[in-house]
Amino acid sequence: MMKTVARVLSPLLILCLVLGSLPVAAAPSPATGLISTQEALSQDQVSADRERISEILARQEVQDQLVAQGVDPAEVEARVAALSDAEVRQMADQLEQLPAGASVIGVLFAVFVILLVTDILGLTNAFPFTR
Amino acid sequence: MRFPLPAKRRGQVPGHRSRLNARLAGVVLLMLGLSLLSGCASAPRLASPEAMGVPPRVQLEGVPFHAQREYQCGPASLAMVLNASGVDATVDELIPQVFLPHREGSVQPEMLATLRRQGRVPFVLDGRFESLLEELAAGHPVVVMQNLSLPAWPMWHYAVAIGYDLDDRLMTLHSGEEPERLESFRRFDATWARSERWAVVALPPGELPASTGPVRSLQAIADFERAQGPLAALPAWEALTRRWPEAAMGWFALGNARHGGGDPRGAAEAFRRATEADPQLAVAWLNLGLTLEGLDAPERAREAFERAAALPGPWQARAEEALDRR
Repeated sequence: MMKTVARVLSPLLILCLVLGSLPVAAAPSPATGLISTQEALSQDQVSADRERISEILARQEVQDQLVAQGVDPAEVEARVAALSDAEVRQMADQLEQLPAGASVIGVLFAVFVILLVTDILGLTNAFPFTR
Repeated sequence: MRFPLPAKRRGQVPGHRSRLNARLAGVVLLMLGLSLLSGCASAPRLASPEAMGVPPRVQLEGVPFHAQREYQCGPASLAMVLNASGVDATVDELIPQVFLPHREGSVQPEMLATLRRQGRVPFVLDGRFESLLEELAAGHPVVVMQNLSLPAWPMWHYAVAIGYDLDDRLMTLHSGEEPERLESFRRFDATWARSERWAVVALPPGELPASTGPVRSLQAIADFERAQGPLAALPAWEALTRRWPEAAMGWFALGNARHGGGDPRGAAEAFRRATEADPQLAVAWLNLGLTLEGLDAPERAREAFERAAALPGPWQARAEEALDRR
């Protein structure tokens, strides 16, 4: 699904960005847009355009992933919009590996015993009753 | 660190004696493993309160407690810091913004994104224990991520640090279902270290953390601006340039926010300050030129473009282009 979307979207995006970045030779434009702070912070202008393409795709991908994780589709766009570029890339690349704060643990009895000992030693805090 | 599981093959060893030996070996292994573990998790070594510049004891009042329900320590922690900072958000409102139903938890990037959506700038701290104390001393409650269990069987957890006591070496946290829980520095640091000491303060635009430097603060505000727009970020940039007037990128960002907020004169002034702070910052000369062009000051715009065009780097082409089009 993502693959087909990417295949259709990529050339279109590339075209748009290339056209957009061409100097407007015919009509001298009035004061053009400033260089944004985010753009200036990302420094490397050569790769900036390529990054913009991959970022738009990454945002779409993160939206799909969130829906797959059971998030209400009506919420997904606003959630992704508030992520920074770096966070979007992190989410797109490794959402599965990111630790999710939940404070639950599913463990075997052997692990239970080990954690009990480490709790008592003050290395962990898995069971509130050990303090 | 992986924990050695002792005596796993015990059942395969025939004979009572060798089984006993295996059990002994298992116990030895267990003790060895534990001693190794305690070796890596010693209590944090801290400078004296005077050297750190923090009071020996801090307890923040006015951080309301929200008990977590099921797995929702993420939204609960966010509600606590948001309420403390004057945002009227409830846990129920925050759950659909940050909780991942199938993961039964909340991930760090979305914790930050949710704070932005609520109009607060999230600053991720630099992971030093001292920074955590400095923020608390400055009156900022801190969301921390802990792994309450061992790395092999993680139990990720968000809590809100609201105080500390250097004499008794205790942290105070609103955590899980327990308000004002006391945790020894040692246990707290052992569980916090497993998240690479992830910690966040959420501040209204215009306030800055006590412990972060200009670069980290700049990135945090730029990320906030991307989500909330230049007008919302304007007070944050003003605060940044007041605190670090020598940071050229701060002036540059202030110029962009002013321009985006419809104040080109203020923007030109900020870009000029950026070029004073760092005459090599080509992008500031470039934006100064573009802004002056819009203000009908073609001569001064040309000067700025010439300065930008003289500096090698990614913005040179744009500056030359601006000169050519005149």
